[in-house]
Amino acid sequence: MRFFTVLGILFYAAIIILIGLVFIAFSLNLINPQDIGSFLNLIQSNLNSRLITGLSGILLILLSFSFAQLILGRFQREKTIAFTTSSGQVTIALSAVEDLIKRLAGVIPEIKELRPDVIATKKGILVDLRVVLRSEANIPDLTARLQEITKNKIQEVLGIEEQILIKIHVAKIISHEEKDRKRKEIEKEQPNIPFGGYSRG
Amino acid sequence: MQAEESRTDLGNIKIHKNVIASISSLAAIEIEGVKRIGGNFRSALLELAGKKNLAAIQVEINKNEEVKVDIPLVIKYGFNIPEVANKVQESVRNALEKMTNLSVKDINISVQAIERG
Repeated sequence: MRFFTVLGILFYAAIIILIGLVFIAFSLNLINPQDIGSFLNLIQSNLNSRLITGLSGILLILLSFSFAQLILGRFQREKTIAFTTSSGQVTIALSAVEDLIKRLAGVIPEIKELRPDVIATKKGILVDLRVVLRSEANIPDLTARLQEITKNKIQEVLGIEEQILIKIHVAKIISHEEKDRKRKEIEKEQPNIPFGGYSRG
Repeated sequence: MQAEESRTDLGNIKIHKNVIASISSLAAIEIEGVKRIGGNFRSALLELAGKKNLAAIQVEINKNEEVKVDIPLVIKYGFNIPEVANKVQESVRNALEKMTNLSVKDINISVQAIERG
């Protein structure tokens, strides 16, 4: 499997180098546009060469997919917290930690929306929280409470002793007036039907 | 898929990798705190095609006939992840050793998400 991956990477690199060389040769007037035209005509004139070109195209598309998967897989693999037990390795996706933090919004009623972004660094776990608050609550108190709850929850659930840094960004504060205005807007959109409350019989 | 093969006086016994994946899946699911077996793009495609979610569990058997299992998991909210992962590893190891007599080398758990139970 690794052999094919290396082969794929080498092939991909060779193709890109070749394209680069063609561009350089073109800019240095080493290739004439007529040469390119005659080469393309030659490919299209013969059924076998057309077949080979088509198959090469399919192969390139497949290679691109495998290459993209390889790169994305590598990125995904990096976005985890890992520890080893006697039976094997346990990896926790950072998105799972983000899910966990999102659930905390339900614990504090003043928080309307909570968008976490978790990054694992060598120093520890870095949590960026973007919050939308429901009312004009005491922000220093609320954010300190949120930091404490988040830190405790991560330590409790993940069982890690690494440093956890929590940054909070209050993006918006929704006041009661704004809520009332939104409610009125919704009521306007749904007008009362005359005699709607009465029924037959 | 490659199968694990052992020989008796009467003939060969082959255990398919799907069987190992299936045992692992059942052993993992019965642990409290496990919501479901996770998945990847390939397993999602196979699930659409009507195949079971076994493709998400990767089974490897090396030359020394040792088994390595990779299990993606979705854990229920409120449970301690290392504890649940440890229990799953133990449960899968016991189930595989009991049912197949195979030597289990590694059981790797990958926690993909947390969902409300």
